[in-house]
Amino acid sequence: MVASLLVALAIVAIVIAVVTARLGPTSVAELEARQDRLKERLEQREERREERADRAGR
Amino acid sequence: MEHLVEGMALGNVTEVKVVLASIVAALAGYQVFLMAVGYGKLRLPFLGSRPASATHRAVGDAIVVVTVVVAFMCISYFGFDEGEDGPAALHMVFGALLLAVLSVKIVVLRWWHSAGRFLPPLGITVFVLFLLTWLTSAGDFLAG
Repeated sequence: MVASLLVALAIVAIVIAVVTARLGPTSVAELEARQDRLKERLEQREERREERADRAGR
Repeated sequence: MEHLVEGMALGNVTEVKVVLASIVAALAGYQVFLMAVGYGKLRLPFLGSRPASATHRAVGDAIVVVTVVVAFMCISYFGFDEGEDGPAALHMVFGALLLAVLSVKIVVLRWWHSAGRFLPPLGITVFVLFLLTWLTSAGDFLAG
């Protein structure tokens, strides 16, 4: 019986590992950092677009 | 109640629910295997029918506790929305059916022993409902 209970525990551990890996980072700090990086990238893209528009306008 | 659930899950209610529901669905599959051994449908040299049945009971008790926690999180945080359609509506139907059939199974196991012959079909029904409930919520979420 102990072995079959250990199999159940192994199933639980495997499911936790697989599902959390699929979900990705969920901690608030990691999500905020990801959002900051995204915001930064969008701002840089916007700046480059404006620069190009300025150059084309000249 | 919503704040309690959010506090318990540290703000990650959906993610915690997905993990717990996935554990329960996987263990439900293991339960079917254990009872196939328990009823002698599957004969294995390394697992007898008595330890298989005992493990089925122990794992089943744990499944019921986790299922009640998931149902509580689901109902108190997400609630019932009559306007829902698609997987969310199916999830509500399957989830409610699952709780009903699981309750009947517990009643048959603990008190209504004369209905014991219905335990195998009840068990299979519970397993199928676990899968359908998972597929229409956690499975759908994980698939993106």
